[in-house]
Amino acid sequence: MFKVLLCWKYLRTRFLALACIVSVMLGVATLIVVNSVMGGFSTKLKERLHGLLSDIVLEAYDYDGFTDVEGKLARINADPFLKQEIVAMTPTLEIFAMLQFNFRDAPFTRPVRLIGIEPEGRKAVGGFAEHLVNPLNRKRPSFEMTEEAKERFLIKRAARGVDFPGPKAFVNPNEPPPPDPPPSRPHDPQGIILGYAIGHFRDRNAPAEVVNKDVRTLEPGDEVIITTVSGARLAPVYDRFIVTDYFKSEMSEYDSNYVFLPLEHLQKLRTMEDRVTSIQIRLRDFDQAPKVVEKLKAMFADAPLEVQTWEQKQGAILAAIRVEKGILNVLLFLIIAVAGFGILAIFSMIVVEKTRDIGILKALGASNRAILAIFLGYGLLLGLVGAGFGTLMGLELTWHLNDIEKFISKITGQDIFPRDVYYFDKIPTDIQPMGVLLVNLGSIGIAVLFSLLPALRAAMLHPVRALRFE
Amino acid sequence: MVGQELMRAGNLHKTYRKNAVCTPVLLGVDFEVNQGEFLSIVGPSGCGKSTLIHLLGTLDKPDQGEVYFRNQRIDNLPSSQRDHLRNREFGFIFQFYHLLPELTTLENVLMPLMIRHSTLGWLTARWRAIKKAKDLLGKVGLGHRMNHLPKELSGGELQRTAIARALIGDPALLFADEPTGNLDESTGNGIFDTLRGLNQIDGVTIIMVTHNLDIASTTHRTIRLAAGQVESAEPAPARVHPWVFDPRNEGPLRQTGG
Ligand SMILES: Nc1ncnc2c1ncn2[C@@H]1O[C@H](COP(=O)(O)OP(=O)(O)O)[C@@H](O)[C@H]1O
Ligand SMILES: [Mg+2]
Repeated sequence: MFKVLLCWKYLRTRFLALACIVSVMLGVATLIVVNSVMGGFSTKLKERLHGLLSDIVLEAYDYDGFTDVEGKLARINADPFLKQEIVAMTPTLEIFAMLQFNFRDAPFTRPVRLIGIEPEGRKAVGGFAEHLVNPLNRKRPSFEMTEEAKERFLIKRAARGVDFPGPKAFVNPNEPPPPDPPPSRPHDPQGIILGYAIGHFRDRNAPAEVVNKDVRTLEPGDEVIITTVSGARLAPVYDRFIVTDYFKSEMSEYDSNYVFLPLEHLQKLRTMEDRVTSIQIRLRDFDQAPKVVEKLKAMFADAPLEVQTWEQKQGAILAAIRVEKGILNVLLFLIIAVAGFGILAIFSMIVVEKTRDIGILKALGASNRAILAIFLGYGLLLGLVGAGFGTLMGLELTWHLNDIEKFISKITGQDIFPRDVYYFDKIPTDIQPMGVLLVNLGSIGIAVLFSLLPALRAAMLHPVRALRFE
Repeated sequence: MVGQELMRAGNLHKTYRKNAVCTPVLLGVDFEVNQGEFLSIVGPSGCGKSTLIHLLGTLDKPDQGEVYFRNQRIDNLPSSQRDHLRNREFGFIFQFYHLLPELTTLENVLMPLMIRHSTLGWLTARWRAIKKAKDLLGKVGLGHRMNHLPKELSGGELQRTAIARALIGDPALLFADEPTGNLDESTGNGIFDTLRGLNQIDGVTIIMVTHNLDIASTTHRTIRLAAGQVESAEPAPARVHPWVFDPRNEGPLRQTGG
């Protein structure tokens, strides 16, 4: 009983104990915040990547792609296991390209990645429709212009005075001229869906009140010219296109590169007939991915095709995150170890200070074990209180991290979290209860461990020496 | 009044060693103390009186010789049994009071009982213990000081708190190492009167170290320690000197009959 009382009294009357608590608290809070942010980054990134990339990709080795998509799909569907595991498949044609447009009368050129898709099929595989800006397209993705876009397109075209290359009638002098030429309908360029970051830039000099700092460079209805290479011969080909919608996944790498257009159109542009570069596959259960990959590899062993899960495709970045997280955790546990040495030093001082009291307690019949328990209990109490407050502080900081970041950015005038550098427009956080628990247990353990040495010294004190101590 | 033998020391030797330097302090001390006796130990400073008290009270071990308590050898007991003895059978009063500075008067007095009981046991023993501590504090004249910290008390009050603490476990034997050594004469006399009352009325056996020969001469017996041995042990005097009761001590200090 007296152990509890003394622990409590020592805690309340020792200013130094506060230092221990604060150091444990700061360590725990830092670990929780950093782990939450790292965890947030990695889960969000993985989620995003997985959301954007289909579970499994069957891919040609070169830009020329492969033929007989239907046959391949049929072969896959013929396998009962694959048929059961695969929810959706869609062919895709990907190629690098150059995109040119005018903004405020200045020409701009951007390297982009052209992706020819079948909108419905791509929607079924996932990672596409839900990122479209126009809500109508989210339900049923299409490359059609909205009414406003069409209006803008017509006005701009009229202002430029470009004649519409309508279908030209072939006139044979031996025959009477056709009675009434059909009303010339202007041939509209093909619609495309543009990565959000291609059509927008962030105005860093915008006044702080402006909430949306994104400046649009390409409106729906604006025309662009895309140049790429043809299929087998890799000769340059180009065409005019019209922006119809934006793709906003908030993964800046994708948002600033992807340009979607209908598969057949890209095939025609590149004169590739029915060739595609990949088949995107969505699984019922991603846990089955290795098996499916095995099966597909065996099935297409003869063809020059690569079969990979999205994780294998993104192996480097995922591994980088894992390594980073591991190293950071080691470094951060050193913070708690520092707090542990603080406890060691402060406890040693307290034991020296309490030498006579320890002698008194022993004279009154307290056992060595009881004295040990007092100081271990004291360490435990410091650890508990420190970890408790640290957890509160860490969670609180994590929850308000974005507000804090904004506040600090405002004060210092420096962007701490430049959105266009990272993949996210908010600092993502993910508080993992297991992680928080581990950090708590670890720091409490360290507090107890480091109080063990001073506690043992206290327990081993000879009562007479302690009583004679001045 | 003075009954059978309670504690006996036989041929006690103690030498302090530090590095190569040996300080022989006790060189064969023999004596005994009887049930109900008030024994005083006198001797020049540094002659080993405190050392002797520590050996008798199982706070330290002799190099040679034995200590018997109720005819049972105690100097070689394992430490848990020695802790038990100190908690239940012995009470200690020190020159410098040795109260725990963080605790109030009441908590200091309760400490031996808190050490005695486990946390759970304490929950049941608590109310009786507190009542007993309050009674004892009242008897030593500190009923109004229960929630004061040691730093808020005078020397005499501190020593009376220490006496209450020594008594709360109902010890059979009270060790007092210069209990008045740090107090002025009249306060010291008050403390001494309290001790004498304890011995006389409650029958507590007391071994007291003192420099005050006047006080020593009023105890049953005085042992003079010199050159590491008992120089003279006068027999118990036939007549116990009259003493003045502390006005605050109105009745027996010891709870009799539980
Ligand atoms: N830990 C120790 N190491 C060495 N010498 C000691 C130690 N403790 C006490 N002494 C010596 O033992 C002698 C007796 O001390 P003590 O028992 O306190 O005497 P007293 O109480 O009679 O004044 C003194 O000379 C003291 O210096
Ligand atoms: Mg002494």
